[in-house]
Amino acid sequence: MIYLTLEKRLHFSPVTRISVSLIAIAVAILVGGIFLFAVGVNPFHAYGLVIEQIFMDYWGWQDLLVKIIPFLLTGIAVALAAQMKLWNIGAEGQLYLGAVAATWVALNWGNELSIWMMIPIMILSAMVSGACWAFIPGFLKAQFGVNEIITTLLLNYVAISWVDYLLYGPWRDPGSNNFPVTREFPDSAQLPAFGNTSIHFGLIIGLMVIFLVYFILEKTEVGFKVKVIGDNIYAAKYSGFNIKWITLAIVMISGALAGIAGMAEVAGVHYRLKQNFSINYGYTGIIVAWLGRNHPIAIIFTAFFLAVVFVSGELMQLEFSLPIAMIYLFEGIILFSVLGSEIFTEYKIKIKNVVT
Amino acid sequence: MEWIVLVMIAAIKMGTPLLFGTLGGVISERGGVINLGMEGLMLVGALTAFVVDLNLNSKFAAMVFAAMAAGLVTTIHAIVCISLRANQIASGLALALFGGGLSGLFGDSLVGKTVESLNNLPIPGLSAIPAIGPIFFNQDIMVYFSYFCVVLIWFILFKTTLGLNIRSMGEAPDVCDALGLSVFRYRYGCVIVGGMLIGIGGAYFPLVLTSFWVDNLTAGRGWIAVALVIFAFWHPFKALLGAYLFGAAIALQLRVQTMGIAIPSYFLEMFPYILTIVVLTMVTIRNNKRGVSVMPAALGLAFFRGEKH
Repeated sequence: MIYLTLEKRLHFSPVTRISVSLIAIAVAILVGGIFLFAVGVNPFHAYGLVIEQIFMDYWGWQDLLVKIIPFLLTGIAVALAAQMKLWNIGAEGQLYLGAVAATWVALNWGNELSIWMMIPIMILSAMVSGACWAFIPGFLKAQFGVNEIITTLLLNYVAISWVDYLLYGPWRDPGSNNFPVTREFPDSAQLPAFGNTSIHFGLIIGLMVIFLVYFILEKTEVGFKVKVIGDNIYAAKYSGFNIKWITLAIVMISGALAGIAGMAEVAGVHYRLKQNFSINYGYTGIIVAWLGRNHPIAIIFTAFFLAVVFVSGELMQLEFSLPIAMIYLFEGIILFSVLGSEIFTEYKIKIKNVVT
Repeated sequence: MEWIVLVMIAAIKMGTPLLFGTLGGVISERGGVINLGMEGLMLVGALTAFVVDLNLNSKFAAMVFAAMAAGLVTTIHAIVCISLRANQIASGLALALFGGGLSGLFGDSLVGKTVESLNNLPIPGLSAIPAIGPIFFNQDIMVYFSYFCVVLIWFILFKTTLGLNIRSMGEAPDVCDALGLSVFRYRYGCVIVGGMLIGIGGAYFPLVLTSFWVDNLTAGRGWIAVALVIFAFWHPFKALLGAYLFGAAIALQLRVQTMGIAIPSYFLEMFPYILTIVVLTMVTIRNNKRGVSVMPAALGLAFFRGEKH
């Protein structure tokens, strides 16, 4: 009989880890191709188009660099909480609430203040709003130990209903032919773009936030405490860390970062708040964080990869009129594939030949 | 008085998919594996049931295929969590995305079609009891099937050796392994059977509640079921109670909406989710006070023979 067994690797190398992840992504692309084939799209043709129209195209790169922005921010938001073994599945709702606050500022003060005042105020208000929304699950977790996975997730539905209310009610643009959108932001409330591209200033904000989080985690006492709590909560308790406060603070900061993502989308891409402006950007942050093993710098690369997935998905939508659900299916396949591969970074497969 | 009965009848209908989902979660988690992907599985079950009913015109076949499709999709979760020992929460999220994407992709061309909804089947005698009769015994056959599942699962879990073994898998898989039970087989069984029940819960949407398919038909009910598993303390009878409580919340919300009370419907839509968070908080606080944990001790942990977690 021939058996397949797992044997623990004695040497652990980042090269193994990265190559296993790359193989997992290749498998995901292959499986995704099978699903494309199942809905009547030639996968070779589809993937060929992705290379031709996205990677070898000026506009394609521009789309990628716009799409990466929300993923940088939601990715780092989820990763920061995950450093403490907390799951923030609520980045979607925090993003929406951040956008709501930024929109309120833009529509009410936009004509009175200059862009130098407006943009910082919008960012700040988005952060406060996202943080307040995250306060609910953060407090319930810190004070009572309520499962944050469920609370953060359910609050997404509440946040989206809230935005729907605003868009169908008090905030609807009277000149929009009854579409659920707000008025367009005044010029002073629009994030400037680079040159004559559509890549907006949010890219700089996203990268700055990532480096800031990296610095805090690696170089400050607070960052050290966060990591200790994540590694070993008993050691942290024994050392007298104030776990309640740190939990609450980290969940709220995580919400604040997701809030910036919402502000960047409405102020940098749409110039107004509209229904479904986020295509699961918050949930995608979970995948970005997981693929990057919650490491801030790695998140830049995984956010780029998810941007490729989204821009490709939108291309498929245009070319083959496939629904947006194709993107979610791909995300699921990628996450499954990467999760399933993780065991091979720690173990190797041994073939044993046992004579019976 | 009469409107309470009407709301209660609707509460049972609204609660039935939650009940199937919660029961599926109970089985899976008693075996030691969390299934966060309920929303995705329900959508897979819902779409499958709709397609089968549309083509074969058989509610029974629709239910069976929904269970099989959801069981098949859950198998991915089982392989990733049990054999490949990956993180169950991340895998559950992948399952939610995968199921949502799969149903959205293949259901895209079916939007706008309708099927007939399942008829009520009054049970002779019992349905004549005032109030209780029309509420519980003048329902469709899937509701009766859910009653049967509650009793069956309770009996298996708490009155048979099989159930003892299943519960032990969630408490101390290493002990089970030492006793010669196959942790892999039991856990695969629990996850897949659980997934099939969740799929049946999804099937209830097109077969009874809506009669049509739209993208994201279940609208977050799968996630409420995830919370209900905790609320029910991993027990089938309490699952029934919890599912109908939330069914009543949804039924009330719909009732208030149709009565034209001046609350924007968007606020009413928030109600079941907020209620879930409030109830979950109360249950957690009560548990903290009692100081006992009813959660299966090995829940969420992968099993490695001969290794400590």
